[in-house]
Amino acid sequence: MSGPPIAICEDPEVHEGLALLAGVAGGPSLAAHRAAYGEPSAPELGALLRLLDDVGLRGRGGAAFPFATKLRAAATQPGRPVVVVNLSEGEPASSKDSALARTQPHLVLDGAVLTARALGARQVHVVLPGDRPLTVAAMEAAMAERRDQKVRLVRHEAAPRFVAGQARAVLELMAGRPNLPVTAWTPEAVSGHKRQPTLLSNAETWAHVGHLLLTGPPRGLGTDDEPGTTLLTVRLPGERVAVREVEYGSPLAALLPEGDAPVLLGGFHGTWVTARTARRLTISVPGMRAAGCSLGAGLVLAVEDCPVVWTQRLTRYLAGQSAGRCGPCRNGLPALADAIEAIDDGGSVGRVQELSGLVERRGACAHPDGTVRLVRSLLAAYPDEVDRHGAGHCAWARPHAVRRVRSAAS
Amino acid sequence: MSSRTLRVDWPACRARGLCAELLPEVVELDEWGYPVVDGEVTPDLLREAREAVRMCPQLALRLV
Repeated sequence: MSGPPIAICEDPEVHEGLALLAGVAGGPSLAAHRAAYGEPSAPELGALLRLLDDVGLRGRGGAAFPFATKLRAAATQPGRPVVVVNLSEGEPASSKDSALARTQPHLVLDGAVLTARALGARQVHVVLPGDRPLTVAAMEAAMAERRDQKVRLVRHEAAPRFVAGQARAVLELMAGRPNLPVTAWTPEAVSGHKRQPTLLSNAETWAHVGHLLLTGPPRGLGTDDEPGTTLLTVRLPGERVAVREVEYGSPLAALLPEGDAPVLLGGFHGTWVTARTARRLTISVPGMRAAGCSLGAGLVLAVEDCPVVWTQRLTRYLAGQSAGRCGPCRNGLPALADAIEAIDDGGSVGRVQELSGLVERRGACAHPDGTVRLVRSLLAAYPDEVDRHGAGHCAWARPHAVRRVRSAAS
Repeated sequence: MSSRTLRVDWPACRARGLCAELLPEVVELDEWGYPVVDGEVTPDLLREAREAVRMCPQLALRLV
């Protein structure tokens, strides 16, 4: 299995921000964190839910699911709830959770520990990314600094693969089984770890919860409908990887380079948009949904080369990252990668669409659906370039040089 | 009585194809032999659907 087409970056440039990333210069220690935010007190569940309803906090792992809905589900189930901090961000090009671990780990842990207190949970499971040693070390150091009353921090290390961070794969890891996705018959907030209600969210989500509990609602940040901020990993040609905190409602154009570089939004499971489209977009969950794309895991990747060639490489990589457990994914993703590569040799786009339909929603996790999203977004955003490849050309290379471009890029 | 949905436990499914034989009205097989569930299980098909769930050698089907 080959590595990701974009190397993992655990050491991005972390820009000072307006909320989560305010005061990153103070360092990641518990002492600096407490000096900045004061000693927290455990919230009452009702007050926490009201706060979350007010700001409409959505999960930042990719699905943008309303956090309060999950919390409410976990709180109303019988059994003792379990809290999980998921740092095993599968998206190799995303660096925001690594940035949080290395600059504001106690914001993440406060969010989870205080929510655990409100829920009556006794354990917070912290799932670390096996392919990010600096992130692991940063979180371990932060965990060792804490003496949380009534809540025990339990450490896990996820396997270094794309699908290891999927919610059900994380629960499998916590149960001591292979760190691979299984079928979810019920939401994990209803029945998760050891059949207890389980509140599993990614690191950025927990950092927002922590920030809310420590400072109150984000006044003056974002819009009335979408208050607050979100973290983005910004990767531009020739520039260092950056993690930036941006307000909802702000223009995506402010982050983009000049010119017509194609933009991949969200992650490898994300969507291609043309530079022209990208410049009209606003940082907003419903706004991007209406435009047929999504912030996903918060990646903004502008590339210098052909988006068709990129999609060929990404799809081949994603096919190799299938856990191989679900038939349509195990068979369909390699076939899909073949079909997209075959476009260069006159293969049919119809076959790409047919295979996309055959793998979508036919697996235990979001991997097939995310891969299909990427592929379909290429066909939607760059239909002319796809046709050009079919005719043996590429707008990003000399005519008749498609195959050479592809082999040079891989 | 309302319609139900047939769900596949994908990691468990091994493409044995019995479901498509027992319930062709709802299940077809894809090019690799895995079930494509198309549409809901209407009340008149419930008996056959239960049979498909019971007979699956991998116990990979559920009616929900």
